[in-house]
This record gives sequence, structure tokens and C-alpha cells, in this order.
Amino acid sequence: MIEILQQIVNGVAIGGVYVLIALGLTTVFGILGIAHFAHGSVSMFGGYLTFFLVTSWGFPLLLAILVALIVGFVLGMLIELLAYRPVRNANHINAFIVALGLTMMVEGLNLQFFGHEQVVIPTNLSRVFDIGGVTIPELRLYVIIAAALLIIAMTLFVEKTKTGQAIRAVAENRDAAILMGVNVKTIPLVVFAISTALGVCAGVMVGSLFAIAPGIGEWLVVKGFAVLILGGLGSIPGAIVGGLVLGVTEALAAGFISSAYKDVIAFVVMIAVLLLRPQGLMGKA
Amino acid sequence: MTKRLTFTTLTAMMALTGGMVMAEEKTLDIGVTDALTGGAAVYGLPQSNAVQMAVEEINAAGGVKVGEDTYMLNVIAYDDKANPTEATNAVRKLIDRDGVKFILGFCCSGATGAVASFIANEDAVMLVGNAAERSITTKEIANLTRTRPPADYTGAAAGTFVAQKGHKKVAVLGALDVGFYASYVDAFEAELKKAGGEIVTRESFGLKDRDMSPQLTKIRELQPDAILVVGYVEPAAFIYRQAVELGIDVPRYGFTSGSEEQFLRVATSEQMEGVWDLRPTELTLLSASENGVAYHANYTEKFGIAPSPSSPYAYDQTYALKHALEAAGTVEDTAAVAAALREMPIPAEVVMQYLPVDGKMFDANGQAYTSNGAFQWQGGNWVFVQDLPSDAAAYSAFLSTID
Amino acid sequence: MLQINDLKVAYGPIDVVHGISLTVNAGECVALIGANGAGKSSTLKAICGLVPVKGGSITFEGRDITNLSGHAVVQAGITMCPEGRQVFPQMSTVKNLRMGAYMRRDAEQEADLERMMDMFPILRDRAHQAAGTLSGGEQEMLAIARALMARPKLCIFDEPSLGLAPKIVAEVAATIARIKAMGKTILLVEQNSLMALRLADRAYLFEAGEIVLSGTGEELQSHPEVVKAYLGH
Repeated sequence: MIEILQQIVNGVAIGGVYVLIALGLTTVFGILGIAHFAHGSVSMFGGYLTFFLVTSWGFPLLLAILVALIVGFVLGMLIELLAYRPVRNANHINAFIVALGLTMMVEGLNLQFFGHEQVVIPTNLSRVFDIGGVTIPELRLYVIIAAALLIIAMTLFVEKTKTGQAIRAVAENRDAAILMGVNVKTIPLVVFAISTALGVCAGVMVGSLFAIAPGIGEWLVVKGFAVLILGGLGSIPGAIVGGLVLGVTEALAAGFISSAYKDVIAFVVMIAVLLLRPQGLMGKA
Repeated sequence: MTKRLTFTTLTAMMALTGGMVMAEEKTLDIGVTDALTGGAAVYGLPQSNAVQMAVEEINAAGGVKVGEDTYMLNVIAYDDKANPTEATNAVRKLIDRDGVKFILGFCCSGATGAVASFIANEDAVMLVGNAAERSITTKEIANLTRTRPPADYTGAAAGTFVAQKGHKKVAVLGALDVGFYASYVDAFEAELKKAGGEIVTRESFGLKDRDMSPQLTKIRELQPDAILVVGYVEPAAFIYRQAVELGIDVPRYGFTSGSEEQFLRVATSEQMEGVWDLRPTELTLLSASENGVAYHANYTEKFGIAPSPSSPYAYDQTYALKHALEAAGTVEDTAAVAAALREMPIPAEVVMQYLPVDGKMFDANGQAYTSNGAFQWQGGNWVFVQDLPSDAAAYSAFLSTID
Repeated sequence: MLQINDLKVAYGPIDVVHGISLTVNAGECVALIGANGAGKSSTLKAICGLVPVKGGSITFEGRDITNLSGHAVVQAGITMCPEGRQVFPQMSTVKNLRMGAYMRRDAEQEADLERMMDMFPILRDRAHQAAGTLSGGEQEMLAIARALMARPKLCIFDEPSLGLAPKIVAEVAATIARIKAMGKTILLVEQNSLMALRLADRAYLFEAGEIVLSGTGEELQSHPEVVKAYLGH
């Protein structure tokens, strides 16, 4: 029993990271229909930046994260404005190519700026909590709490604010949203800013819990899209449920079936879900 | 215009006088292919640096004296990212385009195995460094030598050591899809079984995995006496850290060869305390010879970072090559140089502590053996505790029996 | 209130509206009738900024709103209740209504929401149901209520009766009559010419992108050509 609980706790932290990545991908996909492949690399950029600010400039961690978030906001808007907006009304393949090109560009920039070495964001959090035999490292606990707060904040933003509702409205019916007075030029900017900021948070979490290195961005974006498909394309609750399901499934698969095939097992579960619910866990048929 | 004229005149004069007073000085290009970027660069880049450093030392000390001529060495290095295809391309480029006959580096088994598969047909000599896969020296390739002993040579010694510590149930967590790590564990298990012990589980992880807590949770449930971690430094560092985070307090043994700096990027010194590394003795200041101490100091000064423990494999290759060239008296006849390598005693300049087989550095398979050591993390450093029980001559005989 | 002068609309190389002019005065209900593809809906879309204007001008309350972007037109006080209802299917009824008030910043939005649900009791019953699960008639009511939530000065209805059962069509007509009675200015596009002409103070007849006839509702109802071509008796 403790083993199962421990495995679930193990999976929740990485699941939270998946959720943050998937939230960004799913909102972008929802309003623009774009598979924003560069999201993982951009997230890693945020993690690298935080690492750099802390280790080279001596920023306190929280300040560094704040700066990285602001940079993420601006970067997100620039990506929308400079990369995706010009192909907004073109054939979908154009946006697809832009997304691929952007991925390579950002990966290249990361390599140029931050090098090829694995980096770990130093946090100096090494306490471990033991709750009835289930151990939770301090850092993991904070990551879980931070992810939960961000997920709640994002949900409240979308459900309770006018801008959030406008994002949903544009995703559901762009023309009708215009008739409601939604400025469909600014909404994508907002969406990219928020998505990228969430991605930066995920990057910081990966970078402090684990490590950032070339290739990690790709890994993350692949997981993000798996979550999207699992949860339902464009669905925010789907991203949340899907991310947690994927994280916990991976942990359980590694712990109880085979550590060598944990990714395979997670994808098999995903395929099984899609056979039963082709629209994804929370997607609308 | 005047300036250039003066300069040209000066150069001409220097060439003229130089030619008159000393024997002809030539340049010999040698090649390096290694992982300079990517996940394996923790092994490859220090090796490439080590070759560069050895070459500069050799040149400063008068170069390589081959017959009447003195050669200054020049390194042409390519990044193979530890990728077999890239390594094959790099070696082809070195041989075909750069006209190189002596190729060093080779930190990683996949890339090295790919090159080893065709090097016998080339007019070249291949000197393998840190790559640990056994099969590299079982094919009797005449123009290949390796400074690092195969993983299972060390694995057997490690198994004996752990069994002597009285551990019966050992849980393994390793990069087991990598052949030489699996062979280390196999040899380890064979020795452990002789002492009545067993491996209770073999969990694996991928090169890019950084969260090993699911595997460790499973291991925790099995309540082993000890855990054995075999794999690259970075994932291993996460395993040691996450084991502490999961409250696993049994002895942790490993086979990783990482430096203190590499581990401290991921885990705190407290989290590392007491971890064992059972590996070729390699470079550790506390066990190092005078050569080792000097190497560490020179490398640190030159590159601004401490050398990785395995990097002297490449440094030693370079000196082995120097002596082989001088003994063979040729830079053209690669067969002669390869033969000279196999007949050579252990050079005085090497850093690693090699165990000679029949008085020679390399055995008939082209394989060198170092002592194996048990190192323990104590208060922020890898401390050499004792030699592992290793038998180079017996292993060499065993190696010759394998196809 | 709304003045359209020589409006031309094209989709790429295809002209669909060839220079029409019309006027809507404050408090009036004006209907645009005509066959499918005559250019009525395109005219509306041009007003709302959903399609670009190729020529001519649109003036609203003395202000040129030609080629203004969609949200700015809403800001100016024009709201359209679009053809096919176009509710946000996965959002609840209440959230759809709130989206109607997207541009408003005043404090009476919730009071208006109550008023709408009083006016359309069915919407109160369906308050927290996803709009996509409502019946066609209910969705039409929702779309109308959502348009009113913006407190528009000019309310445009694009084919409100399209695809609805006759009984519901009558209900929609009654609703529009009520909105008219509230003193709203209405521009109505309908293929159901009889319904439109009964509701309208004045009407324009579209044919092939041009206005061929205009007059009061009664005049057009009894005009022989209209009777023959559009009223079918």
C-alpha cells in the first residue's frame, strides 16, 4: 500500500510539470489550431535563464524565477507576433513549418547561450518529509504545490475573468467571439504570453528537480502532446487530468511492471484510452 | 610594402639558418574523435583536452624522434557526439581527407565499436580510451589498443569486494541497455553468487532519465542489503540523491567514474556521503602517483577545471603512441607502429597505474589493465580506500578465449 | 442612425454586393429581404467588420465605421445575432450570456443577466447546461439574449428563423417584436419574407447584390413582385 502511495507521489510531481506544459500547448492549439512544437525548447530557455541568473549573476532564486517569467511573457508575445501571426491566414502547413523552424532556432540559441552541459538549478532544498512511510523531498513538495497553484490560477483566469472567457470563446467560435467584441488580434498575444510563462515555470521545475540539457525540451514537448491527445485536444481540464494520469502511469509502470519499458507502457495506456474514447479523456465528441 | 618585404626576408633567413643547424623538423598530424558535445561529453571532452595537453608537453620536450627526424605533433579533433555514425564519418574524414594514420580518443562504446568494426582494413592505428565494452578487444584487431580495461574485468573485482562486505541481497539499478554496463553487472553477479549472494532485481533507466524514484521505490520495497548503480555520471548522481530522498539507507555501490564536481552539480555532499565507486583506479589524487598529481595540476591550470578521473586514458594513449613511433622508427608503417605498441613496456610518463601482462603495457589483444579501486565519498571527496582484488593476467587469458 | 452609401463587397475576385445604399433610423425596425445569395448577409458582415469593404462607406451615428475591425464595431454599439446562432457550444448558457456583455465595464451586467432570464425563462432552466446541448429554438433565444446583453444601440438579426420549426419561428418573431417594443433599433435579415415584412417598419428587397425595391413593410407586403416572388401566394 505504501509502495503504491509512494509511486503516486513520485508520479504527481512530474505529472504537474506535464500539466503546465500541456496547458500552454492546449490553449495555443485551442485558439490558433497550431501545434507549437517550440514550446518545450522555449520552456527550457526559461530554465536555463533562471540557472544563469542564479549562478552567474547571484540573483536569489525567487527573483530569478520572476525575471524569467517576465522574459517568458515577452518572449511569448514576440513568438506570436513575429513567428505565427504572419502565417495566421495562410495554409496550415505554413504554421507547421514555422513551428519546426522555431524549435530548431530556440534549441540552437539555447546551445549558443548556455552550452551543451547539463545544468541543475541550485535550490539548496534537501530536507525530506516522511509521512507514514511515504517520503517527499522538500523540493518535490514545493514543485507539486507550485504546480497546483498555477493550475488553479490558470483555471480561475480562464473561467472567471473576461479575458479568460474570451480565450475560450475564440477557441469555440472565433467569428461569434468577434461579434461579442473580442479583439481577436490581442487574444493570441495574451495566450502566448501566458502559455510561455507557464512553460517557463515548467522549465524551472524540471531544471531544479532534475536537469536541463539539450534534448530535454524535445522530450517535454513530446510528453506535452501525448497529454493533449490523452486529455482531449484544446481542453483545459483534459490537460490537467491527462498530465496527472500520464505522470502517475509512468511511475506505476516503472515501479510495478518494467522500468525499461515505462515510456512504452505509458504510450500503450494512451492508445488504450484513445480506443475507448477517441476524443480523449475530457474531449467533446 | 616595406614591412612585408622585411618580414618575408626575415622568414627566409630563419628558414635558411634553421635548416642548417638542426635535423629536419616535421609535423605529424594525429586525429582525435570523441564526444565533445552531448550527454557523453563528460567523458569525451576531457579526453580530447588530455590528448591536447600531452601533445603540447611532448612538443615542448622536443617532439617525437623517429629515426633521423623529429616530429612535432598536431591534433585534428572531431566531435562524434558518441554517435556511431558520426564517429564513422569522423574517422573516414581523418583518414581520407586529413591523411591521418593515428587516431585517439574514443570515450564511448557505441561509437568506438562502430569504428573498431572496420579499422582492421585501414592503414591506421586506433587507440581507444575510456570505452569499456569488452568486445572491442576480443576481435584480435592488430592495429587497435585500449588503455581502459573492459567493464567486466572491473565488475568481477567489484562483485568480490561487495561479497566480502557480507551483502547477500543486492538490488541493481543501471543503464542496462548499454552492453558494457550489463556485462559489468553479469561479472559482478557471478562473483556475488560464488559467495552465496544474489541480485534481487535489475532495474534500468535510459540515458535521458532523471527521475529514478519509481525504480528506487520498487527497490525500497524489496529491502536489499545494498544497491549497485551502474551508469553515466549524471543519472547516477540523481539516483544517489533520490535514494536518500526516499529514505533508502543501505550501502550504495556504483560504477560511474564521475568527478566530485560532476556529482555535486546534482546532489549535495551529504546526500553523497558513504557512496562507493568500484572502478578502475584511474585518477584520484589520494591514490595518484607523482605523474597523477602533476597531471591534475597541469590540467586544472590549463583548462580551468579539474580533469575527469577517466581522462588520463587519453593522455596515456598519447604517450604510448609517442613511444611506439620512436620504437618502430617510422610514421608511415602503421603495422610496425601497431606491433611496437604491443611490445612496449609501460612508459614512464603515464598517469594510470597499469598492471603489466608479461612485462608489457598491452596484452596480445591490445588490452591494457589498470588496478581497480574501491573509492568512497567522504566529506566531499572521493577517497581511495583500497585496491579491489583484480587479476590482470587471468583476465587477459580469459579475454583471449572470447571471439 | 446607420447610413450605408454605395457599399461594395467582394470575396476575392467575386463581387457579391454591387454598391447598395440604405438607411436605418433610430427606433426603426428595418428588414432586408431577398433570395439566398442576394447579398444580404454579406452586407451585414461588412457592417460588423467580418468581411472587408471594397467600396462605399458605412456611417453609424455620424461616425465612419467603414472597415473598422469587428470588436470596434461592437464597441460603437452594433451587435449582431448571427446566422446559425453561433453559440459557444461548450460554455454554459450563463457564460454565453456573460460573453454577450464582454465589452461592458458597468456594474449592471448581472442585473441584465437576470432580466434576460426573466425575458426567456427557458434560459433560466438551462442556465448551467452547455449551450451546445440546447435545442435549436433554445439556442436561438440564447443568441438573441446574448446579443441584447451588449446593450446595443443597433441590433442586427441575421436569419433568426433559419432551420427552426414553424412554432418556434412564431416565437422568434414575437421576441423580435418585443425587442422592437422596448425601443431598440433593429436591422433584420430574413428569408422568411412574410415574417420580416410584418415585423419591419421599412424594408429593402435584395436581388443579385443590388437593392431593387424599398418601402414600408406594408407597401412591400402588397407589392405584386414581392408577392409573386417571395410571399408565394
